[in-house]
Amino acid sequence: MDLGVSLWAAFELSTLPQQVVNGLLLGAIYALIALGYTMVYGVLRLINFAHGEVFMLGAYTALFASWFLGYGKGSSLETSGPLNLMILLIASMCVCGIVGVAIERFAYRPMRSQPRIAALITAIGVSLLIQYGGALVLPIAPPPSINEKVNPYRGVVTMNLVGGDPQLLEGYEKAKIEFETTEKAWTEARASKQPDDVVRALRDKKNDADRTMGDLQRRMDNSGVKIRIPQGQLIMFGTTIVLMIMLTYLVMFTAVGRAMRAVSHDFDSASLMGINVGKIVTITFLIGSMLAGAGAMMNATFLGTPLTTFFGVMPGVKAFVAAVLGGIGNIPGAVLGGFLMGIAETAVIWAGYGQYKDAIAFIVLIVVLLFRPGGLLGSAKVEKV
Amino acid sequence: MKFFAVRAGSIALAVAACFALQSFAIGKGDLVFRLVFLAGLYVTLAVSLNLINGITGQFSIGHAAFYMVGAYGAGYTANNYAGSWGLKGPLLMLVLLLIGAVVAAVAGLVVGLPSLRLRGDYLAVVTLGFGEIIRIFVQNSPPLGGAYGLTVDAQFKFKYVWMVWLLAILCIAVCRNLLKTAHGLPFLAVREDEIASSAMGVNVTRVKVTAFVIGSAFAGAAGAMLANFDGFISPTSFPMELSFTILTMVVLGGTGSITGSALAGGVLFYIPEYLRDLKPVSGSSLVAAVIAVIAAVYVVKRIADHYHGDKGKRAALYLGTIIAGVVLQIILAAVFKNVPSLANANFEASKLRMVIFSSTLIILMLLRPQGVFAHHEFSWSWIQRLLGKKVPTTAVSV
Repeated sequence: MDLGVSLWAAFELSTLPQQVVNGLLLGAIYALIALGYTMVYGVLRLINFAHGEVFMLGAYTALFASWFLGYGKGSSLETSGPLNLMILLIASMCVCGIVGVAIERFAYRPMRSQPRIAALITAIGVSLLIQYGGALVLPIAPPPSINEKVNPYRGVVTMNLVGGDPQLLEGYEKAKIEFETTEKAWTEARASKQPDDVVRALRDKKNDADRTMGDLQRRMDNSGVKIRIPQGQLIMFGTTIVLMIMLTYLVMFTAVGRAMRAVSHDFDSASLMGINVGKIVTITFLIGSMLAGAGAMMNATFLGTPLTTFFGVMPGVKAFVAAVLGGIGNIPGAVLGGFLMGIAETAVIWAGYGQYKDAIAFIVLIVVLLFRPGGLLGSAKVEKV
Repeated sequence: MKFFAVRAGSIALAVAACFALQSFAIGKGDLVFRLVFLAGLYVTLAVSLNLINGITGQFSIGHAAFYMVGAYGAGYTANNYAGSWGLKGPLLMLVLLLIGAVVAAVAGLVVGLPSLRLRGDYLAVVTLGFGEIIRIFVQNSPPLGGAYGLTVDAQFKFKYVWMVWLLAILCIAVCRNLLKTAHGLPFLAVREDEIASSAMGVNVTRVKVTAFVIGSAFAGAAGAMLANFDGFISPTSFPMELSFTILTMVVLGGTGSITGSALAGGVLFYIPEYLRDLKPVSGSSLVAAVIAVIAAVYVVKRIADHYHGDKGKRAALYLGTIIAGVVLQIILAAVFKNVPSLANANFEASKLRMVIFSSTLIILMLLRPQGVFAHHEFSWSWIQRLLGKKVPTTAVSV
């Protein structure tokens, strides 16, 4: 492979801030899903392979809820308001919470006293069952999976960090005036029915001025540094941060959170200390799945990815990797890992190696694990005999 | 003397059985021929993963990667170099098989060395990640055919079913002999307790790397066979699910049991293939089957947990539950026939096969989490005990 020359040629430094923002936006979703993996691992020491499928079911719930609200294919409704988005979000979160708790109750709880590998195989089985069982009854939704009208926020937020080159700006202003005068002359000539060849000459002049102006505008835009974010993704990011703050409050400052941390620290002692371990595990699954549901709804609504029953596999695997990267079982670690994963992925696309974007997650993971075997924020303690 | 006679006899028997299988399979048409071939590959894969997962206790979920490395190693060598060697037939296949094994063993070494510091789930993720990395790099590598796949020259296509089964038997023999001799004890010690075994003087590093290298070499050899049988390999033939399937074979058969992995490898490979040809199922009987299965599993699970009486009675209870489940299914199916929306919905069997596969997995794990064979092995004394003879148990049971 010829790394080296082509690797550096592709970097375009003025797009760096945009890429960092893209990475953070992508990372927020990974972090949201990774939280579910890491919380479940924290209390049960079980890799919940079915978490990606819970995510997938959340996206389908959002789709059905949007149909229920009347935004089916070819719907004649006007663009909706934020209320409909809230309904979609709450529906997704509720359904995902119920599915997560049901999976725990019927598939994982009977396995609790068994060796961990048996529980893991059950998790793989549940994951496959939801994927292929879902394919029997759920429809395939081509992009945009959810009617775009559901989302009222379709604009783009633009932030100018560094203005364009002043010389280019000056030239652009001049070209703009030139274009306007030529256009005016052409319209007038056409209106006053002048001979064809005169009109044609004026039109050519106008087109030339237009081209020069467009060219200058492009060069000016490129010389500046700006960030463009679709409004929907901004809302997605904001919601994710709010949910994370709520989770932090729940885990750090409430009785349930304290119980959760106790169970995660030592399962058996926690139950001896009078903590209802079964209840705490249920709550953990509920919260983790609800976070996945929120992520799924926002992903489906604002990004419009096509929906199949295998929709959750790749985000699931990457979020899982993010959780391990941060140190599985560690909540801040999952968030950090998610953001790192998002940034690494956009960085690879930025460098022009988009086809390796699925591999980079694992490369980063392996490199980090070589130096910190317990993940970035996890502790690699030696198990005692 | 008797020892060598028994050994020579069993080797001769194994070779003869493999050739008999080849001549049997040839007469049955292309499809059966290919199935017999693939079954041998899966047995090899399952038993070799069992060496890493079950016997050494290193949790690897990236076995398909080694399989893939072996396939591409052999395929690429055959296309680019093998033409000038002047070898032909089985001998050439043997050389290609060794190349596949060596390439995969090197890959196993590469994965095994850094992962020594990791344990449990972290190791699992690294092996999974390694598999994905390999797949994506092959997908983007023009010399290996990229996403279009690699076509192996027609002159290097070998339809040797006997060789695959010989490979499977060799794999089983290597694992079995490892367990029966002093060389295998460190592997078991590492599985049971890494710290204690290292305190007892076991070189944990060497044991883990050896397990990885031997296991991946066999997977690579299986890959080489596949590449030269089909004549075409592509990255999509080695998806992540394949690793999960192989892992499932090992765990369902009973982690650590060679007999279990070998049988589960064959059976679990055959179930989805068999389900491919089923007729479409109507919605009413499908729903009825789902309800009946859930009910039967619930009752069986309760019996297993709460009934501690006579073994014969318990078996009778199990049998009764299963019969009751079948009856329930038939009755419910007749009832649901009257519901038009269910009776009119048809489900293709090809879509159902993975559903059945995954539910079987969950149900078996719920009812028998230690796997079908648990840690037991097939042996003649076991058969004799089963027939009611009193046979002394061996001193070291694995």
